[in-house]
Amino acid sequence: MAIDYSKATGTGSSSGAPGGGGGGLLKPSIITGIIGGVIGWLLGHWIGNSFTQGYQQVQGSGSNDIAEFLGYIGMIIGWFAGLGALSYPIKKMFGAEPETEEPVTEKGWTKYFRYTLDHKTVGVQYLFGMLIYFFTAGLLALAIRTELLSPTYHIWSPDTYIEIVGEHGTMMMMMMTSVVLGPFGNYVVPLMIGSKRVAFPRLEALSFWFTPISYFILLSGLWQGGFQSGWTGYAPLSVQQGVGQDTYILGFGLQGLSMVCASTNIVATIINYRAPGMSWSRLPVMGWSMLSLGFTMILSIPVLIDGLYVLALDRTAQTSLLYSGHGGSSFLWENLFWFFGHPEVYLLAIPGFGLVAEIIPVFARKPVFAYKTSAAGFIGLAILSFFVWQHHLFQSGMNPDMRPLFMLTTELISIPTGFIYLVGMGTLWRARIRLTTPMLFMLGVYFNFLFGGLTGVYVSDVPINVTVHGSFFVMAHFHYTIMGGVIFAFFGAIYYWTPLVTGYQLSEKLGKIHFWTMIVFFNSTFLPLFAVGLLGMPRRVFEYAHRLQFLNQWVSVSAYLLGASLLFFAVTFIWQIAVTRKPTVRNPWGSRSLEWFVESYPPPAYNFKRVPVVLSWPYEYGDPNALPVADIVNETKDLDPVGRA
Amino acid sequence: MVAGFAVALALVVYGVVGWLLHKPPTISAQPSSTPGVVNVSLQIDGAVGTGPHPGWVGYRVQNASGQWIQTTVIQLPAHSDVHFTVYQYDSGSGFRNPVWDQVAGTVGGVAYLNGKPATYFNDQVGNGIGHSFNVPALGINVPFAGVNGNASNFCNAGPCTMSELHNTITFDIHTGNPGSFRWQCFVPCGLGYLNGNGGPMTTVGYMGGFLKVVA
Repeated sequence: MAIDYSKATGTGSSSGAPGGGGGGLLKPSIITGIIGGVIGWLLGHWIGNSFTQGYQQVQGSGSNDIAEFLGYIGMIIGWFAGLGALSYPIKKMFGAEPETEEPVTEKGWTKYFRYTLDHKTVGVQYLFGMLIYFFTAGLLALAIRTELLSPTYHIWSPDTYIEIVGEHGTMMMMMMTSVVLGPFGNYVVPLMIGSKRVAFPRLEALSFWFTPISYFILLSGLWQGGFQSGWTGYAPLSVQQGVGQDTYILGFGLQGLSMVCASTNIVATIINYRAPGMSWSRLPVMGWSMLSLGFTMILSIPVLIDGLYVLALDRTAQTSLLYSGHGGSSFLWENLFWFFGHPEVYLLAIPGFGLVAEIIPVFARKPVFAYKTSAAGFIGLAILSFFVWQHHLFQSGMNPDMRPLFMLTTELISIPTGFIYLVGMGTLWRARIRLTTPMLFMLGVYFNFLFGGLTGVYVSDVPINVTVHGSFFVMAHFHYTIMGGVIFAFFGAIYYWTPLVTGYQLSEKLGKIHFWTMIVFFNSTFLPLFAVGLLGMPRRVFEYAHRLQFLNQWVSVSAYLLGASLLFFAVTFIWQIAVTRKPTVRNPWGSRSLEWFVESYPPPAYNFKRVPVVLSWPYEYGDPNALPVADIVNETKDLDPVGRA
Repeated sequence: MVAGFAVALALVVYGVVGWLLHKPPTISAQPSSTPGVVNVSLQIDGAVGTGPHPGWVGYRVQNASGQWIQTTVIQLPAHSDVHFTVYQYDSGSGFRNPVWDQVAGTVGGVAYLNGKPATYFNDQVGNGIGHSFNVPALGINVPFAGVNGNASNFCNAGPCTMSELHNTITFDIHTGNPGSFRWQCFVPCGLGYLNGNGGPMTTVGYMGGFLKVVA
């Protein structure tokens, strides 16, 4: 394996963007990025209107889709130019040898608002970026539940309601794909494998800075009529929509590019930047999950981007690739979308399971059970996820003879999922469990996923699928797998790694209040929705039968309480890391994983003074004769959390 | 920079909440000289002429000051007779289903086209049907005959005036218990959208809205 023995990614002065010299407001940052984005949008929109004045996708709409697209493309270019992300590649393109920056050494808060090449800074940027995504989409979820308080009295109109649903769903699905890889994959995995850097820091930084612009573009759809097609963007509805649909195409497309960049980087980092002694059989379980996730993303997301490109052509160049009335086929979209869309479900599950399998042994004080089985489970999930997408199309008029095949492949995927589940159960078996806040969240994942996973087996079955298709039953199923799975793991991971990332310990008491309120109100919100769905309530419809009012009101009130629990987290988390700032002790959970043996918390620039040599498996808990995980353990164990002897 | 970011974030929250709270205005029915009866006056413009979609077809409702407000949210008193006067300025076409030619749910099952009573409007004759007023929960369906779109005094953009070509349709309904009732035009008139069902057809404030019946 390739090893980086150098102190840094390079040497040289730090002038120029990003993270280089200059000062004040002119130094590339999010502010110059916004200025660049506004200028780019104006320029792009003006060019679009100049070339195609009065050219409308939808007659009478008063909106020119070509100008809309060019405006947004100009905005994206301006955004990255303003951030300073283009300086390096442009200099390279013209044959100049750009000065190599050392942005990883930048101090202070402002580095989090800049295009930086430090994987830890990118991880923190991702963490807060994803929380903003999550809370925005969560606010929209509460808007949905507010409308559904009454079957007939309406807070919002049907068009507004479906726009809220579409925006909520798309924003959540976009965010969920990066919610683990972004903050924890980028921050922790290079530390876990003993690397001083990531393989492609520019790709990594690019992957993060795609997300704010995709967020703003997607959100701007609200003020442009929204996209009533929902997150699935089915044609021909998505072809005939107003300009709000363009924000869906560009927002989702940019997030797709972000995921490709992030996954390429993480795969290359894990393969090439493992420390000496970090053999594949010693790779942390989370590393396996990130590797499986990365390959799945690299193979599936380009298909989504291709589909979005085809949709954009139909909306701007007036092709009819997706409209059967003019010779195209809406099946093309459905297949392109779901060829990405179902692997995407596992893009959400795999990293969630990776976190769980990584953190549970620490608090069970036992080696991870059946380590190789867990790795096989991740790889099996990743491979099989490409063979199930047609189960979303059982009702579409597809060849009925194909349905049993995809029913079988879908049911098969429960086997690798079961592997991972059993790994967790085996690790917990006869363990000395410490019920800390992170552990509670990880156990919560298993509890919730039991509902989500078992109902998944049901909905894969053709007769049941046909019966519950498009109902709240399916909605409850995927909320149990996604929110009950990956989001619980995400919060557990925040509690687990905050001491490392910030140097501050979060309160166990406040964390447990957050956990118990969240799991109670999460289940109180989504469990009744299985019944609501079986009783016939369809998704995406703002009026429903009077007999379902009580259940819906129960769910809505529970959703508000769930929102209050999450707000409690946000307030207490910010309060603890910004105001009270209780210093952590070194390795507060007693983990054997390499990231906890850095010199200080938060870890210094370039992570380790020297590349560690890995001596043993990171899960040898309970074995008094086990070797330390690496040769740096003894060098750092007597330091305090800020790195003093 | 942190403060700037916080301001940007606050603006996003303000924008989202503002968008969620934004809705077309509600216009109340106007009292009439007859006790227990209120009046509602509507006009239908082929192009509303104002707002974010000036080219979209839409309704306007007359408020107490006599102004034509672009909205489709109308507040009515419960257990009352409501007299509707509709000024129809748009051209017409056929229904996809002739069942909508039948007047239903009005007092006496009748509507008046330029003063002449009718229980049925044939969408295949004359200028066809421009739009309709359907309240599924109350069983109301009233089709509005279209005008000649080639006439010299055809109204091209709202708000239209009485000197421009129009049909006047009147009808009465009786409101029941309080509630919020969705109404919708059933003529697929979203010009430029596939099958005519997008845009103004799916947007409150244009070709669909609510009757808010209050105690």
